[in-house]
Amino acid sequence: MNNNNEKSRKKTIIIILLLIILAGCIVTLVVLVRSLTEEKRPVENAKGVVGTIVDNWDPNVSRPDERSDQKKGTMIPGYSSATMNEGDTSLKLSVGNPKENTVGFFATVKLADGTVLYTSPLLKPGQGLEEIPLNKSLSKGTYNAIVFYQCVLLDEEHTPLNAAESAFTLIVN
Amino acid sequence: MKSKKIITLALAAAMVCTSAVSVYAAELTNTNQEGQTEVKARIDGSVTGDVTYVIEIPDVVDFGTLTMPENTTEDSFRDVVTHVTAKTITNLDEETQKISVYVRDKDATSEDSDFRITNKVDSSKKFNYDVYDVTENLDTTQSVNSSPMTSSIGFKIAEFIHEGEIQDLTLRLNQHDLCDYNITEIVGDYSGYMVFYSMLENQ
Repeated sequence: MNNNNEKSRKKTIIIILLLIILAGCIVTLVVLVRSLTEEKRPVENAKGVVGTIVDNWDPNVSRPDERSDQKKGTMIPGYSSATMNEGDTSLKLSVGNPKENTVGFFATVKLADGTVLYTSPLLKPGQGLEEIPLNKSLSKGTYNAIVFYQCVLLDEEHTPLNAAESAFTLIVN
Repeated sequence: MKSKKIITLALAAAMVCTSAVSVYAAELTNTNQEGQTEVKARIDGSVTGDVTYVIEIPDVVDFGTLTMPENTTEDSFRDVVTHVTAKTITNLDEETQKISVYVRDKDATSEDSDFRITNKVDSSKKFNYDVYDVTENLDTTQSVNSSPMTSSIGFKIAEFIHEGEIQDLTLRLNQHDLCDYNITEIVGDYSGYMVFYSMLENQ
């Protein structure tokens, strides 16, 4: 009788342990599958500061006197560097269209190898953002990156104009 | 004893599963930096991510209305003068750093770096133009694109250290090239687009 009880107890323990292992495997599988699918899904614009386009974007640089003899062109912001932490889903980078311009911008932030990190909607003069949501996170390292500014007329067709690329160093800590 | 062994094995299996999750979470995305091998300079004293300079570029490449030259044996240049300007620069170390500006045709490749304007309706109709970093004595000056592009970012046209510096450019198209065609074949609007690449570099 005791032997039977003992055997029965052992069976119960084994079944419980097997269930625990099975649960662990299922959790592992779910996490792995989620990680794979989340990587392809762009980060949604966060509520609040990240990804928010403001109408009073100002690159905070001085404005020398305008020379009246020179035909006005398009102002293009340039950068030195930007820093983020490994695994961050946003980057503090001031991307925008100076208010002096009379054309629109479509801005794309990408790495030198072509990996796109962020694409903006149309930025009218004076519009920009200080922190961009990233399509993917990056591992530690120093990257050559650019902000590609496609300039367009503010007509319905968004007629393309000349474009610009502002290179900068992206440091991931 | 047997049950202890089973418990030990089960716990080990559970630990293997959870460690697999944490290892995968540490793998992040591609860190390939092909395309450019030089890590650029940084400006000390500026807040990372802030705009540190602003350059002004021309909006369009506009040669206006091109005409078939009457003399079909001589060159007939149409020149357009434009410029790139360093509107603002902050915290640059003038002794060791500069803002370099390059330019290329929007469709330039390593095999084909010509600047050209293209018929908006028939893209097979194209005419090349040259870019000079001077506005005078073009006939005795080499264009910036006289040799093929050595870098995918374009031809260097300017180096800026101080705010307000201006680099004049002349875009030159030879209307003599139109003589190879029947005028009715090439009428229409043409457009060309340039990409201006700027970067902070060490001097």
